[in-house]
Amino acid sequence: MNRFSIVLGLASTLGTLLVGQDTPDRVTVPFRDAAKARTLVVVVVNGGMTIRGYDGKDAIIEANSRGGPSRGRLRLPSAPPGMHRIDNQNSGLDISEKDNVVTVNGGIMHSVDLLIQVPIQTSLKLKTLNGGHLTVENISGEIEAENTNGAVTITNVSGSVLANSMNGRVTVSLDRVTPDKSMSFSTMNGIIDVTLPADVKARLKMKTDNGEIYLDDGFDVKLDASSRAPVVSDRRSSGGRYRVRLDRTTYGDINGGGPEMQFTTYNGSILIHKK
Amino acid sequence: MTCEEAKTLLSEYWSQTLDETRELAFDAHLAGCETCRAETERLGVLWKSLALLPVEEPSANLRGRFYETLGAFRQGLESAPRRSLREKIVSFWPRQPAWQMAVSFALLVLGVGVGYEIRPEKQEQPEVAQLRGEVSNMRQLVALSLMQQQSAGERLRGVGWAYQVEPSDTEVLSALLKAVNQDSSVNVRLAAADALHAFGASPGMRKAILEAIPKQSAPLVQIALIDLLVDLKKKEATPDLRALAADQAVHAGVRQRATWAVEKLQ
Repeated sequence: MNRFSIVLGLASTLGTLLVGQDTPDRVTVPFRDAAKARTLVVVVVNGGMTIRGYDGKDAIIEANSRGGPSRGRLRLPSAPPGMHRIDNQNSGLDISEKDNVVTVNGGIMHSVDLLIQVPIQTSLKLKTLNGGHLTVENISGEIEAENTNGAVTITNVSGSVLANSMNGRVTVSLDRVTPDKSMSFSTMNGIIDVTLPADVKARLKMKTDNGEIYLDDGFDVKLDASSRAPVVSDRRSSGGRYRVRLDRTTYGDINGGGPEMQFTTYNGSILIHKK
Repeated sequence: MTCEEAKTLLSEYWSQTLDETRELAFDAHLAGCETCRAETERLGVLWKSLALLPVEEPSANLRGRFYETLGAFRQGLESAPRRSLREKIVSFWPRQPAWQMAVSFALLVLGVGVGYEIRPEKQEQPEVAQLRGEVSNMRQLVALSLMQQQSAGERLRGVGWAYQVEPSDTEVLSALLKAVNQDSSVNVRLAAADALHAFGASPGMRKAILEAIPKQSAPLVQIALIDLLVDLKKKEATPDLRALAADQAVHAGVRQRATWAVEKLQ
């Protein structure tokens, strides 16, 4: 079993924080003010995470260590003569709460898979670098998710989403969207698969170099006539230059248009479904 | 009965319309008064001879002539310049509501037209320019303040506002460059790199983009910046792009893009 080192990043003026340590691999952290907006920040270098909304008030953090130093770690020096190394099982997880923001920092050396349950109405800022899925379910709020070497899957959520993956697929399914919020979905080498509610109003900005764009038949999308047409900018009057360029971006208004919704991928396709 | 009273009864006496009591009193007066008797006789002859005169009938032309005269009189009355100023103004006002509206509207148009013609030109122009400046400042303020927000969604909105400021706005430009270099969200960095297109004519742009590329952790943003150099036709960036294409530490996709950019810029 792993031990957790729980570092409470709190100034003494903030008073005491109740941290209930249920079991060694399960930590409950309450959000200080139930009436205020909640935010969960998670940064994991090695490992994946699943964030799930539940009908409660606290953040419940569970960790499953993959055991041992991560693959990316440098080879350990051999033990000095007459000595042996004991396995350092400290996962290095660092959990803190301040101003209704719960921050979870994964250790650098150990690979860990996190399962975090938070109240449904919580905003998320999630970042993971190596080896793992980033999954979000049943959340209502502003969701920011970035995964470098894995997929991002966000389902059954409401609010607004900014999702990015470098080498993975980005799958997002929104039940409801917050009006007037900009959104952005991007991946370098994967597919962007976004499901939007039927009544969403947005200005679509879609860009793919080596992929295709697919729109749901059920959506009323009006593509700009100027899309994929040369863009002329004339700045000669203000001492600039006259320029014509071919924009690789396709623009369109969905249900009459609204805030900007950006889709960017280089080697994947863009799929926009209707819920 | 006095002589005076008797004289008032004379005409009635001759026309024989006096009642019995007054006729008796009149006769009694005549019997006793010589002057009145003589007067009554003398005038009585004239009265009787008047009755003998034939009754004059109006000719057929008279009626027509009368109405002509009446018409001419009325006409004269209407064209008479004797009405007061108030009456004149009132007489211009039509009775029909539709015409009233038409007149009102015509007056309004006339007023606006006159107002526009006589507007003080030299004062108006700086005011419009000032207003435009204020709107531009407001957009700048919105863009800058949103780009400093905690929430990435708000910062993304701020980048969207950057499209609406003047391309000469150096403050917004530096905020965008800062976002490209330092923002924690890849999506915000990506949007900021796209927004730099509008500021392509700014001096130092090529240098700023070339400095930003190696700082990037996200290849997606690096590619967006390389695309920006190509779109802005920054030929001077070719040696740097060639070096980038050869750098093994750089993501393969980025190197490929840099190679493509070098070809494109030639």
